[in-house]
Parts: sequence; C-alpha cells; structure tokens
Amino acid sequence: MSEDKFMQVLIGPQHPGSGHMRFIVKMDGDIISEFEPDIGYVHRAVEKIAESKRYIQIVPLVERPILADTANINLGYILALERLLGIDAPPRAQYLRTLLAEINRIHSHLYGLGIHGIMIGSSTIFMWCFADREIWIELAQELTGARITYSYMIPGGVRRDLPNGFNEKLSKAIAYMEERLKDYEKIFINNPVVTARLIDVGIIKKDDAIKLGIVGPNLRASGVAYDVRKIEPYCAYPEIDFDIIVRKEGDAYSRVLVRFEEIKQSMKIVKQVVEKIPSGPIINESYLKLIPPKLREKAEQTGIWKMPAIFINLKPRKGEAISRVEAGRGEVTHYIVSDGSPNPYRFRVVTPSFRNLIAFKYTMPGHRLADIPAIYGSLDYFPPSADR
Amino acid sequence: MISLDQIIRLIFFPPIFITIVFPGLIALLIVIVFLIWLERKIAAKVQLRYGPLYILKPLGGVIQTVADLLRYLFAEVIIPRRADKFSFIMAPILSFGFAFIPIVALPISSKYFAFKSDLSLLVVLALLTIAPIFILIIGWASDNKFSFIGSLREGYMIMAYEVPLFLSVLAMAILYNTLDIIEIVETQSKWVWGILLNPIAAFVFLICTFMMTARFPFEISEAEQEIVMGPFTEYTGIIFGLCMSYSYIKLYILSLLFAYLFLGGWYPIVWPFTLNPIMPGIITLIKGLIVMIIGIFLRSVYPRFRVDQTLRIGWEGMFVLSIVALILSFSLVILVK
Repeated sequence: MSEDKFMQVLIGPQHPGSGHMRFIVKMDGDIISEFEPDIGYVHRAVEKIAESKRYIQIVPLVERPILADTANINLGYILALERLLGIDAPPRAQYLRTLLAEINRIHSHLYGLGIHGIMIGSSTIFMWCFADREIWIELAQELTGARITYSYMIPGGVRRDLPNGFNEKLSKAIAYMEERLKDYEKIFINNPVVTARLIDVGIIKKDDAIKLGIVGPNLRASGVAYDVRKIEPYCAYPEIDFDIIVRKEGDAYSRVLVRFEEIKQSMKIVKQVVEKIPSGPIINESYLKLIPPKLREKAEQTGIWKMPAIFINLKPRKGEAISRVEAGRGEVTHYIVSDGSPNPYRFRVVTPSFRNLIAFKYTMPGHRLADIPAIYGSLDYFPPSADR
Repeated sequence: MISLDQIIRLIFFPPIFITIVFPGLIALLIVIVFLIWLERKIAAKVQLRYGPLYILKPLGGVIQTVADLLRYLFAEVIIPRRADKFSFIMAPILSFGFAFIPIVALPISSKYFAFKSDLSLLVVLALLTIAPIFILIIGWASDNKFSFIGSLREGYMIMAYEVPLFLSVLAMAILYNTLDIIEIVETQSKWVWGILLNPIAAFVFLICTFMMTARFPFEISEAEQEIVMGPFTEYTGIIFGLCMSYSYIKLYILSLLFAYLFLGGWYPIVWPFTLNPIMPGIITLIKGLIVMIIGIFLRSVYPRFRVDQTLRIGWEGMFVLSIVALILSFSLVILVK
C-alpha cells in the first residue's frame, strides 16, 4: 500500500469476478477514483490468422472468439463475403439464417443474465439461465448439428434445411421459456436485493452512450433506439414484425431489463419465422450447379448439404466489403479487403464487447468496489470477444 | 477398574456432556456436516440440480462435508512469505476457539447445565463478540489487499450488527427480568414464547444473526466475485477449514440462543424424560435447526447487498427497530405491573 490516500487494487486476471482481463483500480476508501481495464489476455490474432486462410476456412475461425454468440458473428462475415462475391442467398435460406440468429440471441442473453446473476451473488438465476439455455442449444443442434459452433451459414445459403418436427419442438420451447421468464421475474428481476444493487448504479447517459460509441442492449438501455436489424435490415428482418426495446434510465437494472425483454422479442421473431418461411432451395442457384448430381439428389432427400471441395478456391473480385449485423451483445462490423486471391488481403472484425469496453473506464469511477461486478455483468462484456 | 456405570456417569456429568457431546463438539460437528450438506442440497433443489450425491449415495451424499474436511486436512498449508506467521496461524485458531467457548454457558435443561450464573446470557454474548476481532487480525496478517478489504468490511459490520443484537437481547432481558438463560426459558414456560411477546426483537435478532454469520444477503465480507474470499483469501488446508466452519459455529450458537430467547428453549417436555438431558436437548436442537435452515435457505433466494447498504440496514433499520423493541418491552412490563 502506498503512503497517499489512494490504494491501488489489481483485480484479475486470476480473480473470480474479473474474467480474462485485469482491472487496475485506484480506490479512495471504498470509492473507485480511477478504473483502467487492461485487456489482451486472450488475444488470439483472429484477424491475422484469417489472412492466411481461405475464405471458407474463416467461417469457423470467426466463431471462436465469440463462443456465446457464434451464429450472429458468422452471419456478419457471410454477409460481407456475399457482397464481395456478388451473390445472394435464396429467401428460404434468409429465413433460416434469421431463425438461427434469434435462437442464438436468446441463449446469448440467457448467458449474460446468468453471469450477471452470479456476479452479484444470485447463484439461482445463474443455474436457471444455464439450464434453460440448454433448451435453445438443443434446438440449434437440431437445426445445425452443432451445439455452439454452428458454422451454419455458408456463402450463398445455409448448410441444412429445417428438420422434421422442428416446429413442434420450437413451440414447446417457447411455451416453456415463457413460463420460466415469469419465474425469473420473481427470483431476480423483482428481487428487492437485486433492485437495491442495480437501480441507479452504473448510469450511462444518452449523450455519453452516443459519444462513447456503446452498442447493443447497453445503448438501447440508455434511451437510444438503435438496432441494426431495423436501421439497416438484413436477411428476413424487413418482413418480420418486432419492437426495439428502449429504456431511458441507462443504469445497470435497465440494461438487465432490456436483455430480458429482448428474449421475449426474439421468441416473437422465431415464431414468425417458422410461420412465414417460404419453400425453395437453401443454396444459391449458381452454387447449386457446382454440386455433383448424385450428391444433390441425396441432399434434397436428407436436407443436409455438403459443401463441394471446389468451395475452397472461392475467389471474390478485387475490392472491399463491409457488413453490419446486430449480434446479441450489439453491433458487429466485418470488413474484408480482397486482392483477388483465395485469401483475404485484410480482414477486420469489430466486436460489440470491444466497443462496450470503454464504458468501464467512464462508468466505474464514483462507485464502490462492490459495484464492479454489478456493472461488469450488466454490460454483458465478454473478454475473448474483445481481444479477438 | 472403571465400570460401565462409572463411564456413563462420567459422560453424563454436565460439564463434560455439555462441552463434549451436546451442545458441544460432537453435536456441533454433526450439525455442521449436516448443515453444509443441507445448504448445498437445498440450493441444488431450487436450482434444478442434484447437489452432493456420490458420497454415501443411499443417503443422498450426506457425508460429503466429511470428505471435504478430509481433503482440507491433507492439503498443504501454505503460508505466504510476507505474512505475519504467528498471527496468520493463531488468529483463525483463536477465532474458532472463541466462537466455540460460549457453548459452555448454554444449559440443556433447568436441572442440567455446566454452570449456573445470573449472567449466562451476557457471558454467551460477550464471548461471541471476541471472535470477530481475530478476523481483523487475519486481514492484517495476510498482507493481501483482498483480505484487508474483507476484514475492514467485517469491522464495519461488527458495529452495525452487534448494537441492535444486544439491544434486542436487552429487550427480552427486561421482559423476563433476568439475564439467566435457565430463568428465561422457565419464564417462557409459564407465559408464552418470546417471539409472541416481542416479535420485533425476534426479527432484529434473526436479521443480526444472519449478518453476523455472513449468510446471504449479508455475505459481504467474503463476497467471492468482489474480494475473492475476503479475510480468508490466503488460507489453505485445514486452517481454511477452520475459517469456513467459524461462521457456522456462530450460526449454531446464535440459533440455539434464539431458541432459548424466543422459542421457549427445551419446553414442552414430555413427562418421563424430565431429568434426562437427551429429550430437552433434542427439542432445543430442533428449534435451533429451524432457525439455521431459514438462514441457509436464503442463499438460494437473495443475492448479496453492498457493504454500505448493509450498514444502512444495520443502523437505520435494525437499530431503530431494536429501540422500538425496547420500548415495547418496557410498555409490556408496565402493563403487566
């Protein structure tokens, strides 16, 4: 301890509440006077590795940093790539992409809610969220064949068609989840200790949120109705009716509520998707031709498409493309520069956690040491996603 | 030759029976093992999991805590190089010891006690207040910022829970006109239970018990996501085991005290067992266990408060309520006279 009245506390990276990062906190008694997040402990150089990979190999690569929200980050990459290639997915594939993206958003939000719960000491909500997350993971597995890392979207479409009996399972899951959300309200949302811990804690004002460039539910909780799904619609979102959840308060509690309500909205979207989904092919016609006739026949029977090896030589035109996608934690931006070779010249991904990181530095000062996990959890920050 | 009769008489000699069997070491160990298991099992039930299961499977893993204790026993005790070795080792042992000593002043029935004193209630409370001082020493001796912050939090909390706790006990002492636990229980058997006479004091006592024993939502000094393990961050092995059981001992003693003060202690006794220490002991233990189970159940309902909120609850809520309880007791005494 130094002689002056400040005490420097280093929280993390080996700390139960820090995640894969370190906070350098200057404490004035129990009050935080300076807060410096120190990131980079799980940097995996995804962008640099991508430069040495073929375009199709990057699909699983981009998923790795954001394991809780793989479908959305994947979708962003595929949209940017499709813009470079100049092709489009058929309508059925667009709906399937939306379906998986929303299922993923639900379990990403459940993940965030659970982690936030355990951070302020409610182990019950943690266990409940992670148990109910399982239902959505199982659904996604039914659809894609994988639990977390789906690699479901491919250039020009999706890998698998809707399996038999999926709709019944989905409506069952939605009915169950709606009941469970009522339990969540009782044990967590309306819990007097939770409201005491979260209301008026970690306030990000509307102007500050815009200035700092916060994204996702954190931005919407500060009163800005910004959602890429509405502002720059992609996939099937223009044809689907849903609301942007906005709250004015901007505190930790409103961020929890926004996520909580977004789970309901996502379920609404998923319901509409399976109702409105058109029939037709799930891969672009021009790519369908590349598949040998025997394989195509088999695939049409089973609904499972195997990508032909020829996809490894996918060569987009020279140029650059950008895409924006609303992931569970906020806006994801993908930027690809192509020099006409089978590898990207430069690949860049800006993840929502990276953009929300700055909120730590400006929100924490003035709060107490015990508020660090409360605010951290409410921002739904995911260190591997920020470090990439 | 010592006959069996002599051995039995020795075991049932009150000072030995109370310190060794009930409410002393053996009962304490069984209760702690059962309580930690029950805490995990209740939380598991609420959270849709199994909880401890595989050790003694037919009984639902009830001796899981024994296995944990054995693990602590054989784990290496690491002493940090910069820690003050003497206080680092002695403080947990002494805090454990001083938390345990109040047991000698707890009677089992009106004819069965280790020693009779006019001030036995005061003795229990006074001895209970010594133990937290060693938590402060732990925080200083560990030379770790999280230990330091944790023990400071405990230090703030001591004042916030001890004053209302003592005032609520004082309210009951005024009501019964004595500080002797035996007389308190005897008075209740003639009137009604203390919890009906002065429910406010009972409420304050209960909340302060949970604050004192770091139950949720007052698990402030050991808040894992904030300060790792609070004062006990640097501890390993069996000394950590002592630290862990320390708060359960306090919960045990305070729950028994709650049974004596508010729930009529060892009454009602069925006639043939009047002289036997077993029947009154079991009744007291059951009443105490109910209080303990309420305490451990809160874990699966509430997250934890902040330290400033807890202090506010202590001073603005519990302190005021304890004064109200005092006034209630005074007015009841005046009414009766």
